Parts: sequence; C-alpha cells; structure tokens
Amino acid sequence: MKKLSFHPLTWWIFSGAVAIAIARVNSPIFAITAVGVMSVIVFTQRDDAPWGRSFNATLKLSVWIIAIRTIIGVLIGVPIPGTTLFTIPTLPLPNWMPGVRIGGAVTLERVSSSISEGIIICAILVVCGAAASLTSPHRLLRVLPVYVYEFGISVVIATSVLPQLVFAISRIRMAQRLRGQNTRGVSAFKRIAIPLLEESLARSLDLAAAMDARGYGISKKRSKYRPIKWARIDVAVVVAGLAVVALS
Amino acid sequence: MIKFSNVSLIYPNSTTTVIEDLNLEIAEGELVLVIGPTGSGKSSLLRLINGLVPHHTGGILAGTIEVDGISTADVKPGALAHLIGIVGQNPINGFVADTVEEELVFGMEALNLSNETMRKRVEEILDVMSLASLRNRTIATLSGGEQQRVAIASALVAHPKVLVLDEPTSALDPIAAEEVLSILYRLVHDLSLTVVIAEHKLERVIQFADRIVHINGQGSAVVGTPEEILMNSPIAPPIVELARTLGLKEMGVSVREMRRMTQEFRDSQEVIKGQVLIRSTKACVSVKELSISYNGKYAVNSLSATIYENEIVAIMGRNGAGKSSLLRAIAGISDNAAGEVIVNGINPQKLHSKQRRENIGYIPQEPSDLLYGQSVAEECKQADHDNEVEGGTTLTLLSQLVPGISAHTHPRDLSEGQRLGLALSVVLSANPHLLILDEPTRGLDYQAKRVLTKMLIDFARSFNRSVIIATHDVELVAELATRTIFVADGDIVADGPTIDVLLSSPAFAPQVSKIMSPQPWLTVADVVRAIEMKN
Repeated sequence: MKKLSFHPLTWWIFSGAVAIAIARVNSPIFAITAVGVMSVIVFTQRDDAPWGRSFNATLKLSVWIIAIRTIIGVLIGVPIPGTTLFTIPTLPLPNWMPGVRIGGAVTLERVSSSISEGIIICAILVVCGAAASLTSPHRLLRVLPVYVYEFGISVVIATSVLPQLVFAISRIRMAQRLRGQNTRGVSAFKRIAIPLLEESLARSLDLAAAMDARGYGISKKRSKYRPIKWARIDVAVVVAGLAVVALS
Repeated sequence: MIKFSNVSLIYPNSTTTVIEDLNLEIAEGELVLVIGPTGSGKSSLLRLINGLVPHHTGGILAGTIEVDGISTADVKPGALAHLIGIVGQNPINGFVADTVEEELVFGMEALNLSNETMRKRVEEILDVMSLASLRNRTIATLSGGEQQRVAIASALVAHPKVLVLDEPTSALDPIAAEEVLSILYRLVHDLSLTVVIAEHKLERVIQFADRIVHINGQGSAVVGTPEEILMNSPIAPPIVELARTLGLKEMGVSVREMRRMTQEFRDSQEVIKGQVLIRSTKACVSVKELSISYNGKYAVNSLSATIYENEIVAIMGRNGAGKSSLLRAIAGISDNAAGEVIVNGINPQKLHSKQRRENIGYIPQEPSDLLYGQSVAEECKQADHDNEVEGGTTLTLLSQLVPGISAHTHPRDLSEGQRLGLALSVVLSANPHLLILDEPTRGLDYQAKRVLTKMLIDFARSFNRSVIIATHDVELVAELATRTIFVADGDIVADGPTIDVLLSSPAFAPQVSKIMSPQPWLTVADVVRAIEMKN
C-alpha cells in the first residue's frame, strides 16, 4: 500500500477517538479489534524512522503489563465468587485491612476480569503508541504553538537523543566486549550505564544549546516555511475517528 | 565586529581560569583561527561569542564581549541568533529536524521571517553549499562531510554577520575538509562574513587565516598574524616545522609560498628514494574474502589482505568507505561478516576475556566507551587486576604516555588527548599482539599526536606487534605507518608502502611532500635525513 502524507495531528486525533471508544465500550473483544485495525494502519503507513518503532515497543510493554496485572490480580484483591479453578494458601493479614486478601481461591471470573481489564488498559496504550509511530515528533512540534517552548525542547531532545542512545548502548557494549569484559549481569550494567548516562547528558545539553543558539523560543510568533495543511484524507480519518466515538 | 574587553572566565568548582584578561578585536570580514592545546579553552572562547558561555554552562565572566555593539551579558544567546551562526564540534548532536530542508528553515522559522524571505534564502543557500541534490534527504543518512555542510548551511541561512565553527574538519577526510574550507574562504571574501574557527589540524586551515589567537592553557592568549604566532609557537603544522628546520628566514603558510622558498633544497640533489622497509614474514592478521553487509548494502565487499608482525598499517579512505566495519570484523565483533578472519591463528570471534585482551587491543572512536571507573586510579587498578600484572603497571604506563595526570581525576574531566592516553594504557597493559585504533586523532593537538606516534612505533618495534589504525589524518600516516591501505566502496584500491600510496594521490599527500615534490619525502624527518646523507 502506498504511503500517504498526513497532517501530524490526524493520527493523534484518530487514536484519541479510538481510545475513548475502547474505554466506553469496555469490551476486550472490541479492544483487540481496535488494536488489530491500528496495527494494519501502522504497518502500512509508519515512517522508517526511530519513532516508527514505538508501536512495537508499546506492544511488548503491553504483554508485560497484562502478565503482571493478571498475576497480581489473582494474588491480591477482592474475591469474586464463581467457578473455582484452584486454591492457593491465604496469607494472614492484620485486622485493620478488611476486604483485602492475599491468596485464597482463584475463580475463573477473577482471572478473566483481570485479563480483560488488562487488555483494555493496554489497548489504550497501544493505540497511543500507534499515533506516535505514525507521526514525526518534529513535524508535530511545528504545528504546536510556541508557548509550549520548554515542552518543545524536551520533545526534540527525547526524540533525537533517545534513538542515538540505542546506538550508543550497542557501541559501548561492543567496546566493553573488546576490552574482554562480560556484557551481561549486574556489574556489566554499571559499566555500560555510566558512560551511557554521561553521554546522554552531554548530548542533551549540546542539543539544547544548539536550539537556543538558533533562536528557538525567542520570537513569540513563529513563521512557517511550508505550512502543513489539512487535506481531504485527514478530514476523512478524523471524521472516521469521531464516528467510532459516536457509535460506541 | 567582535570585541573582547578585559575578558576573564572561570568555571565553577575549578581553580584555574580558562581565559584571563583577554583583549581582542575582530574586524568585519576577518577569518580568525583559534589554536591551543587540547582542553585549553578554545571551545569556551568560541561559545563566549554568542553567550552560550556563561548563559548555558554557568561560570563567572568578567569584562565585556560585544558583537556588533550588543553586549552578550545583556541578552540570551537566542537573541543573537540573527547575528551569529554557530556550528558545534559534532554537528549531528545539534540537528533538530528530520530532513535537510526542514533543518535549514528551523532557525528562520524561530526568528519569524516571512515566507518569501525563507524561500529565497533556502534556494540561495542550497546553491552556495552545493546541497541542492540533498534537499529532501533524511539527515541521518548523510555522510560526515555532507552533515557538516548542512550544519554550516543552517547556520548561514539566517544571514548572520559572524560564523563560529568548532573543529569543522576534524571528522572529515582530506577532500571533504578541503571542500568545506574553500566554501568558507569564498564566503569571507564574497560576503565579508566574519569567521572564527577553532581547529587542531592547522595544516588544513592555516593558509586561509588572517589572524591567529593562541591560547596557552594557563589563561593567557596571544593574538597575531599566522607568521608571527607560528614562528615561536609549540603548536606547529609540518609546513612550519619544515621552515624552522631548514632555518628559513621567513615563514610561508601555504604550499605555494614554501615551494618558492625551498627551491634550493629540492634541486640540490637527485631524486632519491627514502627508507627501505624490513617487515616480518610472519602473518598476524589474515583476511580472506571478507564481506559485511547492512540491509543489503555492502560495507565491505570480498576483501582480502594479510598484515604481518611489526607492521603499522594505516587504513584510509573517504567517510563511509567501510574502514570501521573492516576494523570491527578484524576484532571479531561484527555479527554480519561473511568470509574468514584469522588473528594469530585464532578466529577472533571466539576470543573472550583474558585471551581476547592478550590477542587484540581495540581503541574505539570514542575512547571513553572503554572507561567506566570513577577515577584514573580506579581504572588503572581494574586493568592491572584484569590482566594479572603487577599493581601499578598501568599507571606507570600512563605516566610515560601522558605525564602529569592526577590519579584522582575523573576520566570525564580529562582532555581528549589524556583520555585517549588512559584508554591506550588500559589496553596496552595486556600487551596485545594486535592493536587496532579507530580514528584516534580527533581532537588531538600536535604535541599529543607526537607522543602517540612515538609510543605506537615503540610498541610495534620492541614487542614485534602489529598496529592497525584507521584515520583521515595524512600527516599522522606519513609519520607513523609503514604500510597504507586505501579503501573505497568496501574494497582495497591501493595497498603498499606508505610512501608509494601517499605520493600517488595529490589529495592525500602530506604537506611536506607537496612542497618537496618531486623528492619522495613525506615528513620533516625525511628531509633532514636526506640532507644529512648528502653532507
């Protein structure tokens, strides 16, 4: 499918609408469908750029969140009556914590409610990740007003420095390997983290200085070289998003 | 245009003043070069001009700095953006947009220039800097020289009256460097732009400079014409050393001037070939049919070479020619290498911990990647421990290499040259059979380079070790390497004794050989030797 050019706000509005819809419908099936639709859009339309990878990152993060939430939801929480799957020993808790319980009978209802809540939360997260994947943060910055100055500097630093840091990690790990050092484990983490931290600070300061030296944020108004315009396709996407909210 | 009156600068938590009582006036249309040993405060001086120091870094500033009548103490650096363009040491760290065109307009948009003005200026600057064909490219995909040009273009596009550049050619190959410098030279002459440059590789810039500011590191600074300053300065490019050694009364700063002055030395003898090379026949590294590809593009393309013991091999070539990829494959850390690499009879990918340290020492482009200790002493102790050598060995090595480093200093606070010295000591304490250095001379002054050269030659000779060094620095190659391999598009295009390879290409010829051609002399030492032989 051909890559189209969108207004930087289009996908954020669409994703926001989908996220609201997911929260309103509150059904894991709807949430999974929404994630599926977003995946198709992301895999056909995303940029081959560092931010393009944020969708995959949120997907991975979501799997962890669902897993951890389910485990904790099963261990701790208010009991839900229903079909008992298995029982784990109950940890005695002091009297001043009524209603909370650790361990005890694990019911099918409890597991499924934990999982479906997890899915809905993660679907919202993934949908936001999709918007980040589909929009260049630098273009986004250009349509935002100047008074978000500090925010603008942070966005540029985060999006320029973070991908460079991923590079830096592999570079430093390689150098440490060459020094004949182990690159896994706790002590290796310290050996890599220290140069990395120093480098990221130095780079962030460099970038902030460069933006400052070029007059960023000095003028209250900011002119536009190529104004980013709303095209018909942007309107279509936004209307589709609003329709989803309305129907949910 | 720029006026420093009684300027002194001191950083917080520091006991030494960076600059003390500096008085300096730079006229419009001047090209001023700032020189000094590494860590002497050149970058601070440059950043004082637009107020990044002390507005951005902290520090106490005494005296006043005026640019075009505006005192930097009164305004933020951004308020001078229309007046001063500044390009940092690593342009890639200062880019804020995705594509070349967006990067160019970033500053103008911030200054709220009208659309027509921006359009005109973008077209103009694309032509001036020969960037028209790159306008829609993503910056990350450009080569080092192209990135440097984009950085300069985006500083120039706002039509500043002053352009400040911090080591604009340090990461560039000789040809890309020449390109950048000649553009600057043209701008100074055509538009009367005022340019301030800090640079270590004087041989590249000296001929363009109107005046030199020499900072000596103890706070004092001398200002004068290139001839005045270089006559007595310890920082001297080969061209000046040659003039001093030959006892010339005057000093020339360009090849043309020097050729006129040295006519008699060239013509007084027949063309004689210099040193003969004796090399061991025992191979240290053998590379067979090596290919490395990234995303279907070949960085190294079925390359074969053998490197012998006690050889010092320089690998040269354009930015992005595959030098670093080749070095990484030899060191055995390239995951997508196909072909065969053998170091000392072992596949380097199988080397681990102590065995690796004893076989291959590797200094990456950023020597600080190797370092993680909180002090020089801690770093050295770790190396002693790792290599099971007597306590204090590494520290002794370091003090021979770079004397005068306090053992309590944090590695980050060392100057570029000192940090390289520390990384080298750590690596050499294991006495590896093969030493690999990737671009070690970025940001090194002549003094540090001399120490490095001597030390690498000693290492190779006394222990019969091999050294491979990737670099853009022709002068270093001339002084150091016994053999030079020239790489282009991932393959070897020239391989032979340094003298043959360097003399066959004018762009890569060192200064002395350009002056002394047709005599096959690469360095000042070669000239001295030839003259002595004759007497």
